[in-house]
Amino acid sequence: MSKQQKPVKLLRKASKIFLFISGILMIVSTVALYFYTKNLLQDEVEEELFSTEARIESSLKENNQAFSLPPVIEVVEILDLKTEFLKDTLIFDPSQNEDEVFRELSTFKIINGKNYRITVRNLVVESKDILIAIVISYFIIILLTLLFLFYFNVEGNRKLWIPFFENLEAMKVFSVKSENPIELVESNILEFQELSTEISILTNQVRDDYQNLKQFTEDVSHELQTPLAIMQAKIENIINTNAIDENQYLLFSSLQQDIQRLKQLNKRLILLTKIENNLFVNIAEIDISKRIEKTAFNFRELFNVDIIFDESQSLNVSMDPYLAEVLCNNLISNAVKHSSKQESILVACTQNSLIISNLGEEPIENPEKLFNRFYRESKSNQSTGLGLAIVKRICDLYEFKVDYQFQDSRHLFSIIFK
Amino acid sequence: MKFLIAEDELDLQQSIVTYLEKDANICEVASDFHEALEKVELYDYDVIILDINLITGSGLEVLKALKKGKKSAGVIIISANNSLDDKLEGLDLGADDYLTKPFHLAELNSRIKAVLRRGKFGGDETIEFNEIKINTKSRTAYIDDVPLTLTRKEYDLLVFFVTNQGRVLSKEIIAEHLWGDDSDLIDNFDFIYVHINNLRKKMTGETSKYIKTAYGSGYKFINH
Repeated sequence: MSKQQKPVKLLRKASKIFLFISGILMIVSTVALYFYTKNLLQDEVEEELFSTEARIESSLKENNQAFSLPPVIEVVEILDLKTEFLKDTLIFDPSQNEDEVFRELSTFKIINGKNYRITVRNLVVESKDILIAIVISYFIIILLTLLFLFYFNVEGNRKLWIPFFENLEAMKVFSVKSENPIELVESNILEFQELSTEISILTNQVRDDYQNLKQFTEDVSHELQTPLAIMQAKIENIINTNAIDENQYLLFSSLQQDIQRLKQLNKRLILLTKIENNLFVNIAEIDISKRIEKTAFNFRELFNVDIIFDESQSLNVSMDPYLAEVLCNNLISNAVKHSSKQESILVACTQNSLIISNLGEEPIENPEKLFNRFYRESKSNQSTGLGLAIVKRICDLYEFKVDYQFQDSRHLFSIIFK
Repeated sequence: MKFLIAEDELDLQQSIVTYLEKDANICEVASDFHEALEKVELYDYDVIILDINLITGSGLEVLKALKKGKKSAGVIIISANNSLDDKLEGLDLGADDYLTKPFHLAELNSRIKAVLRRGKFGGDETIEFNEIKINTKSRTAYIDDVPLTLTRKEYDLLVFFVTNQGRVLSKEIIAEHLWGDDSDLIDNFDFIYVHINNLRKKMTGETSKYIKTAYGSGYKFINH
């Protein structure tokens, strides 16, 4: 019971039930018909036997002469009277040259002072044939009827449920991100109409909420830019007034850092929202290898880090040029952030993949969360926590496969392009 | 130099004015779209700092009016929106530069100087400071006409210092100028010292003393 049953298709289930009930109905009715007809026929035979017997009896009374026509009629004079009885008996029939079943009625009568046993028999074969004929024809008729009904039932169900199945398909392909409302099939069945209405209301609600949420993120981020600009500008003017001392300067300088962090955060949130809103539609052929070399050059120059990269293998990918830049930047800056200056960062390209690795003491604790927004393994690093989330989003957008592994004491990030 | 700052956020507008007036520039302000449009049509400016989202209208309209009036002013657009389309539209309409909010005033100042150089000297883009001469077209710096061998970042640093002379430049401001903000924040600013020390070493003799330390961790480029 605990095991969940495999779901069955609606139409198949309905057909199964129909077939099952039809089968039972067919067997039960055939059996019933068999016994009923059999009884009827037997009654008929017996009635005939009684009437024959009555005729023989009256003929005996008139003629006073016993006659026989074996095996159908036998009149015998006997000593003792017994009670009459009915039975089946096997008698050799010379005309058929085999034993045949006969229905036999034996009565005992005193006629004109003599004791007679009158036995009348009737061949059962005939009635059995009729019985079989009736049952078989009934069976054939009901089988045909049921098959016919089954076909119409299945077809009817299929037509009846069309709106349901089409709407189900529409819901399967529906995404909250889609621009257009869900398109449902109209139906004149009340329940299906109600279902469609409810689905429309729900999906529209979800879509609106999603759009609002996205718009909200973008709006908030944009609205934050101006106050940040004001704060930044004011701090810059304060440190230029000559009216502050060194400690105050340090405070302002660290404030600048905080503002910088907010700026980064904002910019990345906007970028994420834009990717989600599908606003990057420029597609160009980008040589990722050249892009990486450029980025690596910048990093080497600025931070004096050792990035080992062989640019001879070119890697052409169709994507938005800006996103390609962001992708390379985020991956390399992630590696730079998490390795010390003495360690080399290795970057390798193949024809359709990119691998970036840096030394690490132990693997990431929760690799499944690595690409989540705001996931950090330690507080020490003042990153926005959005760099890898953006990488993932970009990869999702173009259906690239991004992966993290820990191998030979190295954090390995790989992207397989299409 | 005469500037127009068309910005409806008064705090930001005043901060920009304060910063720019230090170099004995004349700063006029416009706090909404109509004021900006009126001033642009009536007066001549060397550089206009134009907010794209003015409360009552778009800064791009002001830009169109300016170009229609065949005014020679340089234009730097400042916007809270860093969408590429806005940027391209602004530059297409004839803006000289585009800055996304929030920006450092030193960065704005540096961009203004660049716009002025390109506008005034018709291609001969040079900056001079005592014995230092910088050709911004060939990206070379000279001391007493002897060329210096600078890396890209050292050259950028020198130009940034000279164009913001007399101003305190914190390591955050310098870091952002050198680095941009496209990459995730690296909270270690040690790399700034390395580049500045290298630059100082390459600037022979007295010139290296122009780069002074301010408040222990900041810098100031100043005449002796």
